[in-house]
Amino acid sequence: MTLAERLEAYLTRHFGAPTTVRDLSRIPGGASRETYRFDAVIDGAVRPLILRRDPAASLIETDRSLEYLAFQSFHDRAPVPEPIVLEAEGAELERPFFIMARVDGGAAASPFTVQPYGAHAQAIGEAFFAALGAIAATDPAGLPLARAATMPAPGDCWRVALDHWADVIEADEQHPQPIVRAAIRRLRRAPPPPAAAVRVVHGDYRTGNFLHDGQGKILAILDWEMAHLGDPLEDLAWAIDPLWGHYDETRVGGMIPESEALAIWSHTSGLSIDPDALAWWRLFSAVKGQAIWTSAAREYRDGGFKDPVLAFSGWYTARRHDQILADGLMRLEGLS
Amino acid sequence: MTPSLPDILVGNFLCLAEAPPPESAGEFTAGKVGATALLSLLAAQEAERGLTARVWENGAIRALVSDAAPDYGQGFAEAASGPDGDFSLASLDRVNALLRRALISLHEAVEAAGDTARDQAILRLYRDMAHARRLDMPPLPGR
Repeated sequence: MTLAERLEAYLTRHFGAPTTVRDLSRIPGGASRETYRFDAVIDGAVRPLILRRDPAASLIETDRSLEYLAFQSFHDRAPVPEPIVLEAEGAELERPFFIMARVDGGAAASPFTVQPYGAHAQAIGEAFFAALGAIAATDPAGLPLARAATMPAPGDCWRVALDHWADVIEADEQHPQPIVRAAIRRLRRAPPPPAAAVRVVHGDYRTGNFLHDGQGKILAILDWEMAHLGDPLEDLAWAIDPLWGHYDETRVGGMIPESEALAIWSHTSGLSIDPDALAWWRLFSAVKGQAIWTSAAREYRDGGFKDPVLAFSGWYTARRHDQILADGLMRLEGLS
Repeated sequence: MTPSLPDILVGNFLCLAEAPPPESAGEFTAGKVGATALLSLLAAQEAERGLTARVWENGAIRALVSDAAPDYGQGFAEAASGPDGDFSLASLDRVNALLRRALISLHEAVEAAGDTARDQAILRLYRDMAHARRLDMPPLPGR
């Protein structure tokens, strides 16, 4: 059976009505899941949908149920697509998957292009950091995500996050990486103050992980696959990491000046930004990135060298984050 | 520092050699071809600069580690004593892995000793290593 036929069999059973699948097409992006767009025709009514299915190998090992619960938590609070169904056992599709509503008419920027937002960079940047602030303002108690995600103590957020990604590097490293190991030791020697609040952390909130309409409006925040509870500064630091700068050192994420981004986030979240804490999370972001790229390199090898996105992640972005880490270590020691 | 240049080039062949299933033949395959093309461009940089970067890095680590041996132990002098071998990428990377492990051990010892001068020298070496290994992305237009 083709994937479309298996999907039709599943949806017919799920909706309790004959369902046909039209225009099933895999789309790029979301490197930890296979992503497909399609139309489901149920009793003559057309529903535009997205299928996110676990791959044989992935960029990062993530919990699909947490991703699904994150969509459930925010789809009525922020521009986030509505989740439809989660099948943790895979059913007719053989691998775990979930289905969500499709948002049409938007584009996601590649992080490695120049000026992707054109004249609308300011408007998109304001919306982007306001949306992140709104996520950080939301008390996670009562959210669907809180049913499954571990709630760390405010003073433990940094340790939980750092231990996780340091373990990933330990497990997946193929060639010794002295720079990121020095950064990990530096982060452990000088931990940040406790989180001002424990909130939902998107985990990969950055340029390229949202759809915009080309006119300055954000249509959908995507890729919640690393969602967890933690210090909201983790998301803020990741969003302003130089890797996502679109070659523009004057604007974070290729959108707005950093000072404006921080002010918008702080105003919307209701949280102040401790400069020392942000400095810690900035260096952490580069460690986290390097851990993700280290896993990508291993997956590229283990998958038979066939996925160019894994190759790019394990090679170009790894080397770029080594530069960012080395510069960050120099800066923290007052050497640059 | 993985994957290696041969991994990338062999991978570029493999990822284009298989016909995609029908549902992946459109936008997804177009993206895959674009990524493969970009990897080829970066591979040209690695082919041009990779050997020089490795020879330089191995020499720089050797010098720093052997210089520290009188203060931190003769094991570091021994770690820095091996030759680079036949100057193939694979041989240079094998030696580089040994040298980087010695550098990690030395840096841990330097931090434990509070040896600020040597710590700063190592941080400067990291900056130079990262710069020598860099890959320069061409400025692709946004859409």
